[in-house]
Amino acid sequence: MKMKLYASAAAIALGTVAQADGHLAGQQITVAGPWLSPEAEIVAEIFSIFEEQTGASVSYVGSDSFEQQIMIDAESGSAPNVAVFPQPGLAADMARRGFLTPLADGTADWIRENYAAGQSWVDLGTYADQNGDDQLYGMFFRVDLKSLVWFSPENFEDAGYEIPETMEELIALSDQIVEDGGTPWCIGLGSGAATGWPATDWVEDMMLRTQPPEVYDAWVSNELPFDSPEVINAIEQFGIFARNDDYVAGGSGAVATTDFRDSPRGLFDSPPQCYMHRQASFIPAFFPDGTEIGADVDFFYFPAYEAEDLGAPVLGAGTLFAITNPTDGAQELIEFLRSPEAHEVWMSKGGFLTPHTGVNPDAFIDDTSRRLNDVLLNATTFRFDASDLMPGAVGAGSFWTGMVDYAGGADAAAVAAQIQSSWDAIR
Amino acid sequence: MENIAGRTSALNWIVHISVVALVALWLFPTIGLLVSSFRTADQISSNGWWQSLFPTEQNLTLRTADPSNQTLVNGVYVVEGNLFGDTSDADISVWGVTSRAIDTYVPGDTADLGDGVTITVEADGTYIWTSPEELSGRGQRVFATATTPPEFTLDNYDTVLVSGGRTDSMTRAFFNTMTVTIPATIIPIVIAAFAAYALAWMDFPGRALLIAAVVGLLVVPLQLALIPLLRLHLEIGIGKGYLGTWLAHTGFGLPLAIYLLRNYMVGLPRDIIENARVDGATDFQIFTKIILPLSFPALASFAIFQFLWTWNDLLVAKVFLIDATGQTTVMTAQIVELLGTRGGNWEILATAAFVSIAVPLLVFFAMQRYLVRGLLAGSVK
Repeated sequence: MKMKLYASAAAIALGTVAQADGHLAGQQITVAGPWLSPEAEIVAEIFSIFEEQTGASVSYVGSDSFEQQIMIDAESGSAPNVAVFPQPGLAADMARRGFLTPLADGTADWIRENYAAGQSWVDLGTYADQNGDDQLYGMFFRVDLKSLVWFSPENFEDAGYEIPETMEELIALSDQIVEDGGTPWCIGLGSGAATGWPATDWVEDMMLRTQPPEVYDAWVSNELPFDSPEVINAIEQFGIFARNDDYVAGGSGAVATTDFRDSPRGLFDSPPQCYMHRQASFIPAFFPDGTEIGADVDFFYFPAYEAEDLGAPVLGAGTLFAITNPTDGAQELIEFLRSPEAHEVWMSKGGFLTPHTGVNPDAFIDDTSRRLNDVLLNATTFRFDASDLMPGAVGAGSFWTGMVDYAGGADAAAVAAQIQSSWDAIR
Repeated sequence: MENIAGRTSALNWIVHISVVALVALWLFPTIGLLVSSFRTADQISSNGWWQSLFPTEQNLTLRTADPSNQTLVNGVYVVEGNLFGDTSDADISVWGVTSRAIDTYVPGDTADLGDGVTITVEADGTYIWTSPEELSGRGQRVFATATTPPEFTLDNYDTVLVSGGRTDSMTRAFFNTMTVTIPATIIPIVIAAFAAYALAWMDFPGRALLIAAVVGLLVVPLQLALIPLLRLHLEIGIGKGYLGTWLAHTGFGLPLAIYLLRNYMVGLPRDIIENARVDGATDFQIFTKIILPLSFPALASFAIFQFLWTWNDLLVAKVFLIDATGQTTVMTAQIVELLGTRGGNWEILATAAFVSIAVPLLVFFAMQRYLVRGLLAGSVK
């Protein structure tokens, strides 16, 4: 009896440490997502750890038109086991139509305990099902940080500029650069069919810097109409930068036509076309080859107004895993994402931030990533990208096109009213 | 007479000029794409492909070697080397040491960096960086305005064909595409040839209505049928796979195939067919011995069309073929994947375009002499 007890205790210990028991041998788990090369290879590497532990085989297929593909597959009944959603809006939509399976019990508690600002991640992954009951469907994995300004430290040194700590200082610095004959900002909104989205990030950041987070939440749910003075003010705050010919490389007319992937290159030109570029944490992928992050280019936190006293708000976005075709293996794969090593593999490759507090920060590829993650963990207010949470017709439609119109010279109030009317139209 | 002859000649000129203009219009972007496929992403975004063909003057940000390479010569720390690496044909016209003033010095000048530190840069990029104290930190930045010779690379082709992403997937995708394309070209031709003969030369009630129905099907967009058809495939057990893809391509290709071939076959001389009937040939014999050989141009032209459509198809493959295991990916899907998550890799796009048109070009040139004949044959009797 006692022998047996020891044996089972040993088995439990082994099971929790290594789990290399191959109990899922022969099972195939299919995963679909928006990541293509080079992210796809990293994802495959993460899944290979899971394969070793459980014996299951995991295949990942990326698609550039994931949003449409997953709908076709779900409607026709050939959905993959697990889907990686780039925005919560689409996942919420699929949950409402009954295409998603709730995550295992206890996942919500685990997220609350192990993710920084855990409750907000649970809320972002919780959607109403077909019957209108709230369930946890999404587990966030990989977060992007948006409130960042990229700059070249050596160019700042050459000109003797200091990193601004407040929005007031940032605007003063921009004026200083103009006075010295330079151009402070590179802004590009072009992104093919998604042209305009970088401006929505600006407006969201400005919203968080001029209004309390509750107002931001009301705006996301449209309790605060899009054409209210608070939102119009945030749009005009973006205009302070984008609509000023002296502030933007190429003049404000170039803002809407410059591709967002090309716009950061102005930082590296000789002489520099611009000194600062506000963009999310993924943008280093588009820096010229051989750019050394932390030395050739670095970032600072897009500061808040000192006068507004709203703390240090941070805007972010992220991808979430959800189950579209339930099997035991699929649930276990989601559970595997709780383990720090799943996060650490990607941390060591760069371009990956995580709210998981249990990971080893030494795993980050460089100091810059570590500092980026600290911004995320130290945020007094974290808010998810509003355009990703709004209904598709607004957040991925009229908000984008409205911002292009605004950057092109349209009136902020008129643009806001137009976006609000498109929101009214889908209700 | 002179008048008429003169007018014809003027017309000829106009025709020739238009042809040259149209060919140039078509070739110009293609050549641009070809040139771009030999350039790196940085080159593509920094200047146009037409500039890359000639030496150009560019503002470059260069960096000396790290201070870890310094040597102590006569009590002075020295770092020597070439800003462009080992060898280069670049020619520096002016240079500077801060981003605020990039044209302060001419080649041969010595710049004073303060505290006794100096740097001298020659026109070919060789430099001497000296300091009385030990140097530390990173290499000194040098901003040079230089004329650089054209530079091309085969790296993009290497990425697409050999080492791209998941190493073996381009070859696999190539064979998968072949597996889709060849049956998806042959099956509709075989069916359509039979159908076209029946609709052209066999008398049966409702023939005209049937032809009208086939013509009517031409206007049905395939997007309309995607989800219902996929559901049907899943219900009857075909699932996602090659069989379903062949069936889908066949179905979507048949209306045009039947229409094209029927119009061609109707135009064949009635006498030959009636002679054969009188001599006791069955319909099948007439079809195989007379109609098929005579219809070869039309068959070939449709084969080219269908081959190109299925080769370039992404939509049908994504819906009916590529399942969640990712084993059955095709060339088009593979190329999209190479473009990367945010789709900014123009150099890969240009290269992949040239890789993927290689086979269609072969098919086209092998069969193109039938193309015009086959297309015209149905329309003018």
